[in-house]
Amino acid sequence: MATVISLPITAPPTPASWIQDQTNAGQTISPASPFANLFANASFELKAIKLLPVGLAYLAHVRRSIHNHSFEEHDKHEEERRKRVKNDEGQANEDDLGVGDEEETSELLALDPKEWKKQDHYAVLGLSHLRYTATQEQIKIAHRKKVLKHHPDKKAGLAGDSNDDAFFKCIQKAQEVLSNPEKRRQFDSIDPYYMELEEEVPREKEARRAVERDPKEFFDTFGPIFEREARFSKNRPVPMLGGMDDSKQQVENFYDFWYNFDSWRSFEYLDKEVNEGSDNRDDKRYTEKKNRSERARRKKEDNARLRSLVDLALAVDPRMKRIKQEEKEAREAKRRKVKPGAKSGEDVEKKRQEEEAEKKRAEEATAQEKVEKEKEKKAKAKAAKDARRAARKAAEESGAPTPPNGAA
Amino acid sequence: MALSNGSARSRKSNPTVVGINFGNSYASIAVINKEGLADCIANEDGERQIACAVSFHGEEIYIGNQAKPQLVRNAQNTIINFRNLLGKKFSEIPKDQPIISAPVIQHPELPDVAAYKVAILQPAPTPLPPASVKSSSNTPATSVLPTPRSEPIPAERIITVQEVTSLFLKSLVQSAQDFLGREVDGAVIVVPSWFDDSAGAALKSAAEDAGVEVLQLLDEAGAGALVSITEPVEGLDPDRTSLLVDLGQSSLSLSVLSIRHGLLYAIGSAHHEDINTEQIDTKLVKFFTKEFTRKTKVPLTVCPSTETADKRAEAKLRLALEHTKRTISASPGAASCSVESLKDGVDFTGSINRMRFDMEVRTVYDSVVRAALDLLEGVGLEPLHVDEIIYVGGSASLPGLDETFFAKGFPESTITPFTAGTVIGGGIGDPTTLLARGAALQAQLLAEIANEDEQIHAAFRPESEHATVHATARTIGVILPEADAGDEGLGGQWVLGIPRDTPLPYRRFVQFDCDLGEEDKEERILGMELWEVSEGVKVEKIAPPKREKEEGEEDEDEEEEEEEEEIREKILKKEKQLGALAVKAEKARKENGRWKTRVQVQFLAHSRGIILIAAEVSEDGTGAPASIHIS
Repeated sequence: MATVISLPITAPPTPASWIQDQTNAGQTISPASPFANLFANASFELKAIKLLPVGLAYLAHVRRSIHNHSFEEHDKHEEERRKRVKNDEGQANEDDLGVGDEEETSELLALDPKEWKKQDHYAVLGLSHLRYTATQEQIKIAHRKKVLKHHPDKKAGLAGDSNDDAFFKCIQKAQEVLSNPEKRRQFDSIDPYYMELEEEVPREKEARRAVERDPKEFFDTFGPIFEREARFSKNRPVPMLGGMDDSKQQVENFYDFWYNFDSWRSFEYLDKEVNEGSDNRDDKRYTEKKNRSERARRKKEDNARLRSLVDLALAVDPRMKRIKQEEKEAREAKRRKVKPGAKSGEDVEKKRQEEEAEKKRAEEATAQEKVEKEKEKKAKAKAAKDARRAARKAAEESGAPTPPNGAA
Repeated sequence: MALSNGSARSRKSNPTVVGINFGNSYASIAVINKEGLADCIANEDGERQIACAVSFHGEEIYIGNQAKPQLVRNAQNTIINFRNLLGKKFSEIPKDQPIISAPVIQHPELPDVAAYKVAILQPAPTPLPPASVKSSSNTPATSVLPTPRSEPIPAERIITVQEVTSLFLKSLVQSAQDFLGREVDGAVIVVPSWFDDSAGAALKSAAEDAGVEVLQLLDEAGAGALVSITEPVEGLDPDRTSLLVDLGQSSLSLSVLSIRHGLLYAIGSAHHEDINTEQIDTKLVKFFTKEFTRKTKVPLTVCPSTETADKRAEAKLRLALEHTKRTISASPGAASCSVESLKDGVDFTGSINRMRFDMEVRTVYDSVVRAALDLLEGVGLEPLHVDEIIYVGGSASLPGLDETFFAKGFPESTITPFTAGTVIGGGIGDPTTLLARGAALQAQLLAEIANEDEQIHAAFRPESEHATVHATARTIGVILPEADAGDEGLGGQWVLGIPRDTPLPYRRFVQFDCDLGEEDKEERILGMELWEVSEGVKVEKIAPPKREKEEGEEDEDEEEEEEEEEIREKILKKEKQLGALAVKAEKARKENGRWKTRVQVQFLAHSRGIILIAAEVSEDGTGAPASIHIS
């Protein structure tokens, strides 16, 4: 709002003899408070006038006047208003399903349509934030947006090379690939963005060290990896890495699924082009054969890669440690359970049963998500403890009046 | 989730608004185009300048430029110059002017209402007998009477000024609707500044009758300046003083406007009914008549003309002159004027070049400029202080007028649409479309705030309290003292802070470089003095370079004609010191042996005082600000 006028002058050096204020000598000016110095005897001439109620500036003046705003406050309000209007406009066109506008880098615009196989089709359509999650609708909208912007007809009047429709061709190619489910699947298989990420899988040593430092690290590192690998699965839903408190069953399910991962990933996209120009059948067959074997090799490699990834995850999974620990505890608990069970008398047995039921109810109420087995085990452990306590109590209170819930 | 792509394009339906310039002789319409700029549109005849004329001819009604030729043969039924009569009582209308169109009469029924009486043809009544005479078989009854005539019947129609206006506005709105393809919801109509409340009310109700809501009646000074504010010519200060010249067919309006960061008010205005383009027309009519008589030996008396043949000849000539004037405005060459069968079946073709044209109408130009100079003197300004001249009206497109302004003391630096080159080709300074475009811009603004509260809308009405504010009477600025400035002048470098005639509150940021000397000191201080100054003009007379007198050259006539050349210069005179401020320069840097820094000064003025804040600015942020408050 506030424009700064830049003057082409250079102020002369203030003479050393200059005194700050001849009329108000002795007063100091404090830089902190703008209202510190009030010059009672200085005033300037004013006259009353009538503004013409015209234009934006008058509107701004009226707003300031009505709300009694200073210039700064008004600037702030105007900024907010502008944002709101922009928002409203954004909402007016909100049928873009979150496609949005991505910045077009100069590299992107300089893409060569002849090299279309190497281009990132999602980036070309401005969908690099959605990638394989983009729906056909979104792709359609993104394509339309790009075409509206880059169609050669739009550029005809502009300065520069009006015949430069290279990027438009790239857009068309990207649309062709992404709108065809089969071609899109092939491209998704080798999506260059994820190919790069795949390289970044941590090595076992560092992973192990990191997990030892903080078990949470495991989930932070491997969670996104499995999420992104899950897109290749033919079977749905795909179990995800989960959290620290997952049960043994869940963890086992997870690794079971991932060891038997059924991937649709394929590598046709990387095939060498069959030389169309040559009508040599042998040549063609040779290339095809090579492509087939290459695909098979890549697929095999990919499977191996995934397997080693799962291996790695399993090796450093902090839950496995915990589960082993729990199993050990459970075994010990079992062993201990036998002893108090022999000691318990008949009446104690009844009481114990009831208390157990109560405990169960309470447990249900707190809604702890525990697997059946664990619950039972815990309950049993508790029950054993209770039984012991009850036994002690019974021993202490023998002869005393029966407990209210007792049936003796 | 799956929204079909095309269906969700439901934009908020903004109200469709137009700007209308409703002049006395010509009107124009402007809309906001796709680029968000105001555009003057042409009506269905392809005319951007729509003549304010309504003509009744038999069963037909001609409106606009088609009605103008009717002035030749059907003058009694052609109504022009009706805008100026809006809101006036019959008794208030001067009746001594020569009338070339339908005369204004007293309305036969309404008291003291001006009206026109025109002869029209009414469509004949239906030839079928009235429905009450019906036979039992439900077929038209046979009648013994002869079938009534089916020709239209001559009748008289009394039409009030307001009705004529409504009729005319309706045709304008229709043109706009045809152009836009949408209903027009509202319009801003430009009216002259002398329009009083009753005229405004009459115009508003006429517009309502025409089916268009008047968003605002905009003063012509406001409309003209709004274009200059919204689409400024490059190199024009946002704080400027502008002179608006509206040379119309019936009068000359002049306004001196203070434009300060988009806020504007009229410092002074003048209205001269005795200076108008009718005079230009009359002079040209006389010129061409003389030429016609000289060429053809056919006698023709005009201005005033008494014989019917002469009257018609004059009317024809006036119509043809419109074209001549436009040609003169548009091209530097000669312009022709041709009339078929001007008188006694003799055709006329004449031409006039720019120089001859300017000579003929010189007196009108001179009186316009004189009126402008008088107005400026009245408000205590000099032509030197006018930064911009805005022309309005078809005749203001004549380049001769602009040249006259410069010849009569307006400095070369004054920006006019001609010096900026924005007249030709419908540029932003085009005087014929300027007002309508200004109105369209204002209409758009009002449409945008349509959803806001009533308080803001009320502020755009003429009686709004928010419009009344204080303005500075004198220029206020900072003087940066200089060591050996001498006694003359201000004693330092002048930095303008708040120009005179600035409505308050006002804010201005200025940045400039500072030289802090070459010595290395502990503390460097930049002193500023806030002064109130008065603006004046220094007139310096410079004797023309003496011609070497050649031997034997005796006649001195030419030398005597050479006058002393006047050089006018703006000067400032210190009036009163308001305060002083010292800025410690902590971020100064040494460049080429001298200490330098850059300072930003903020002037913040309201009616209770001025706050002056100065701070150093450099790449690494701003320095500690120093400030004073002056009440």
